[in-house]
Amino acid sequence: MSTAATDYTREFPVVEGRPKAAELDATIAAPLDQFPSRVWWIAISITLSFLSIGAFCIGMTLYEGLGLWGVNQPVSWGFDIVNFVFWIGIGHAGTLISAILFLLRQRWRTGIARFAEAMTIFAVMCAGLFPLLHTGRQWLPMYLTPYPNQHGLWVNFTSPLVWDVFAVSTYFIVSAVFWYVGLIPDLATLRDRTTSKIKKTIYSVFSLGWRHSNRHWQHYERAYLILAGFATPLVLSVHTIVSFDFAVSVIPGWHTTVFPPYFVAGAVFSGFAMVQNVLIFVRQAFNLKHIITLDHLEKMNKVMIVTGSMVGYAYAMELFIAWYGGNQFERFVFLNRALGPYAWAYWTMVSCNVIFPQLFWFKKIRRSIPAMFAIGILVNIGMWFERFVIVVTSLSRDFLPSSWGHYTPTLYDAGILLGSFGLFFTLILIFVRVLPVVSISEVKGVIEGGQPSHR
Amino acid sequence: MSIPVSAEGWRKELPASVTRLGWILLIAGVAIAALGYIVDARRMAFDNVIGYLFLASVAAGSVFLVALEYIGGAVWSVPTRRVNEFLGGLVLLLPLIALPMFFHLHDVYHWTHEEVVAADKLLAGKSPYLDVNFFVLRFVLIFIIWSLFHFLFTRNSTKQDTTKDPKLTTINIRLAAVFMPVFAISLTLTAVDWAMSLEPHWSSTIFGVYYFSGTVLAALSAATYIIIKLHESGYLPKLQRDSFYSLGALMFAFINFWAYIAFSQFLLIWYADLPEETVWFMSRWKNGWEYVSILLIVVHFAIPYFALLTQDSKMDLKRLKLMAIWILFAHLLDLYWLVMPTYSESVSFSWTEFAFPILLVGLVMVVLSFKMRRNNLVPVGDPKLTRGLSFRL
Amino acid sequence: MKEKQQFSLTALFDTPDEIIRAAHETRSAGYTRYDVHTPYPVHGMDKAMGLRQSRLGIFVLIFGLFGAVSSVLFMTWVTLVDYPLVIGGKPFWSWPAFVPVAFEITVLMASVLLVVTMIVLYFKFPNISHPLHDTPYMKRISSDKFGISIQVDDPKFNEREVREFLYKIGGKEITPVYFDLEDLDHGQTMFDPKFLGVLALTAILVSGATYAVFNQLMFMEPFSWMSTQAKQKAQRPSDLFKDGIGMRPPVEGTVARGFLPYLFKGKPDEAGKNLVNPLFATKEVIERGKATYLTYCSPCHGNFARGDSRLRGQFPNPPTLHSDKVRNWPDGSIYHVITEGQNVMPAYASQISRDDRWAIIHYLRVLQRAHNAKESDLK
Repeated sequence: MSTAATDYTREFPVVEGRPKAAELDATIAAPLDQFPSRVWWIAISITLSFLSIGAFCIGMTLYEGLGLWGVNQPVSWGFDIVNFVFWIGIGHAGTLISAILFLLRQRWRTGIARFAEAMTIFAVMCAGLFPLLHTGRQWLPMYLTPYPNQHGLWVNFTSPLVWDVFAVSTYFIVSAVFWYVGLIPDLATLRDRTTSKIKKTIYSVFSLGWRHSNRHWQHYERAYLILAGFATPLVLSVHTIVSFDFAVSVIPGWHTTVFPPYFVAGAVFSGFAMVQNVLIFVRQAFNLKHIITLDHLEKMNKVMIVTGSMVGYAYAMELFIAWYGGNQFERFVFLNRALGPYAWAYWTMVSCNVIFPQLFWFKKIRRSIPAMFAIGILVNIGMWFERFVIVVTSLSRDFLPSSWGHYTPTLYDAGILLGSFGLFFTLILIFVRVLPVVSISEVKGVIEGGQPSHR
Repeated sequence: MSIPVSAEGWRKELPASVTRLGWILLIAGVAIAALGYIVDARRMAFDNVIGYLFLASVAAGSVFLVALEYIGGAVWSVPTRRVNEFLGGLVLLLPLIALPMFFHLHDVYHWTHEEVVAADKLLAGKSPYLDVNFFVLRFVLIFIIWSLFHFLFTRNSTKQDTTKDPKLTTINIRLAAVFMPVFAISLTLTAVDWAMSLEPHWSSTIFGVYYFSGTVLAALSAATYIIIKLHESGYLPKLQRDSFYSLGALMFAFINFWAYIAFSQFLLIWYADLPEETVWFMSRWKNGWEYVSILLIVVHFAIPYFALLTQDSKMDLKRLKLMAIWILFAHLLDLYWLVMPTYSESVSFSWTEFAFPILLVGLVMVVLSFKMRRNNLVPVGDPKLTRGLSFRL
Repeated sequence: MKEKQQFSLTALFDTPDEIIRAAHETRSAGYTRYDVHTPYPVHGMDKAMGLRQSRLGIFVLIFGLFGAVSSVLFMTWVTLVDYPLVIGGKPFWSWPAFVPVAFEITVLMASVLLVVTMIVLYFKFPNISHPLHDTPYMKRISSDKFGISIQVDDPKFNEREVREFLYKIGGKEITPVYFDLEDLDHGQTMFDPKFLGVLALTAILVSGATYAVFNQLMFMEPFSWMSTQAKQKAQRPSDLFKDGIGMRPPVEGTVARGFLPYLFKGKPDEAGKNLVNPLFATKEVIERGKATYLTYCSPCHGNFARGDSRLRGQFPNPPTLHSDKVRNWPDGSIYHVITEGQNVMPAYASQISRDDRWAIIHYLRVLQRAHNAKESDLK
């Protein structure tokens, strides 16, 4: 361990080596100019086949109805809500990196922000799929919005499910806007680099005519700061509202006041694991090891241990208050989680979310790519099972033993879950080929010699 | 930029008048508290709970802020870290504030009456935890943990003044990492023991986080006020505006965090409408307590929110100073709102409420002047100091 | 060919330090219509150029407040005025439940309108025909150089002086930038046939798609499925069964609701022995028995069961029910008579429910006792 030699007097270089600004252009834009490699084709064919499995299952669901799924009374929320919460959670890392770390002036975010934001948008797209499918009449989504209709009816503004509609769509729009605003200067750079006429036209249109003017940069930076300031409470609110879906009810195991911060921490936790996992491939495949450095990955692992511990705190607090509160249903639910028919899911969740991440206390593991990759995957499995445990155990064993049931997902449930992964990774694979995965203008600003020396 | 002055140059004592005023306030506070215990011991004991929780907020919160700086690798707060370390020293005095309370546990905590517990099935179920001996044991353990970490952080930090060894920073970073989970548990237990068990039938899983949000705010505000005061009187080296901006921004963030946690707790309980939970809010929504509740929202959230909303206001020292005092008051009101409805069903206010605030202000002044006499006001040996002094966003 | 019209004179710089100094010099020299171009925001440039702080924050405050106020007012109107509905036992105006939506709308309004304001009002974007576009100068800026462009419309602009000035402050590759000729003379692009064509095509496509979705697609399977479901409706024929009838006869031995079979058909003695009145003689039961008796029994047996109704003489006289025979009958025998009828009396099984029959018997016992009251009853 070389921590003793850490030099605290200097700021950690965000970018390793001393790349010149022009080199950065070339490195980052390289994947956009080359014909995709064989690995890429193999990868996208895998993800596309996943996607088509999902598309088939969704098509069957649309045609035959929700009877194809495993949901029924009493577990009327199954894989669909589990997947929804899971994907929304994945999305949270992106906004956290791009907005909260921006407000905290964590300069190491520059290398990974663009990518994480893209992941946010794709993850929210995957997430949005599930509630829409679960409505049963997927062709009537407009009923989710308060529009003046011939029935004279409005949506129920006191329902957390309606809050969800507002929260998720706002989150999607604001994330997309935030992402696009960050892309404008890069698109201008690409516009001025490219030699292809078609690409030039596209880049010109989408860069809106950006000309790197400092009279613009001034407002741009301000707007970016304000957007970050809005995105931060927004990202908290989104998973908070998702947690309200459960917590405003009186179902034992759902109705607990720690849910909002606990869900947010869990979301960031799983999101970081996903970003870390994907970035490991991206930095390898696109030669970005000096921009997305091992230090960045290590910092992400640290964030994971922090948020993982928060999740652990929430588990402990739930258990403690279930005992302390003296409510027999609450007590039963937690015993049932640990010892009941879904105990395997519960212990998967606890070990993946609380126990394995503790390995990140060791610097060697924090900096070992295979180890962090494995733990990242475990964390995602664990966080998926966390939602599974919350949704299924509470619903399958609520108050009256006569109305207990067992939930078994069907192949269609699994197929749609697989399809959502297919959609997510297909979008990512397309994204890495058509847009710069790292913010060119931001990275230029943090390389050595990138800022005036009088500071 | 090199380190501004030699190590000796930063041992600056507060003027004797401050120390004297501190002692006067401290003694006055003790006198009022003693009188309160003689006149109305039950009420004074409740005030004592508020006083204890307030001091625990500032003290433990300051240790937390020190740890946070280390673990977050922050540089802007390095030049002013000593203020947090000094305030953290207050943890050593926690038993003194808690002590009179221990003789009046029966007045405050319903669950300490054995005959009540025996007749109450719910309380009987909780009796392994809500037990006087265990309560005291937890208090002692928490006190030891906080004191230990405070001692280790400060010792390493002070040692660094002379040795200038960056290894000490590394050690403190590791300590901070260990401290974080320990702090989370100990602060939660403090909140459960001292505040939540006032209504032993009621429980809320978010309660620890709620108290935590107030804790950080109080510690941050106390530090902010002292830092600005010292800075204005020329005690501290020239700090960048951006350092103050960071203080203001953190304060703003935690105001929002507090509101978020408070609202989440309220909304979930209001929405589910379970009688065993709503009773806690109901007792804060009648007999005059509703005005205190509304006042709390205004004082603890609305006013500081708009006062610190703009970028400029976070760098405006006068406003920051005012808001720091304001938030300390708001935290006191928050604790009053948490504790006092158990004392009386209708809102009531008495002179005994002044005892502990006066006492604590005096205590902070005395401790500060004591610490400043013995320690450097700036961690001159900290390797991050230079960066902290030239910190720009 | 038209003469080229100059837009500005540009110079390139290599490092951020140089550009900061150059911007400062340019400003000090009194130029106002100039701009500094950098591939990324350079810290301290606002100060060097003497730019006022951005006022975007005020817009955000206005948009945010607008979002908050309008959403709360809207939800208030919906839940209080337009369609008040009790939900979850909460008051109509449940403000805590409005907070999440109000917050989301506030953020949405503030952030989206902020970006729109910045791009449209401040930047005057989209504008892809600015003279600086597609110049070698801009291409260098986009990559790694820093540049200053002093515009011709600056009051102090003088080609030679500006050139010297830029040279003096360290500028390299000092080049003039000209307006694009096409852009200067774009004429009426609004009525360009190509543009109109695209417009018409868009209109046709959008209206066609709208028609297809709302008038065709929505009536196709699976979207119309809720109206055509795979189920058998009552009274409809069905191919599934041999007899072609959709409705199936009930299974042998099916007992319809409220039609329990009577086990003692034609067996008055067994009925008297085995049946026990399941009802208690409570006040309610007797009241009910009275009402039913008066409806069904009194026309023949008389209001007080004396057999003295106005039908007397028109039929074989209905007997009095105060006879010793009836008084000594067990309840079951009376029940049997009501259920099956006797002599001229028809069966009442289809008119009087079982419980009502038992209630009548209770009432009848009351009448019988009242008719033969004893001294001891008064005690």
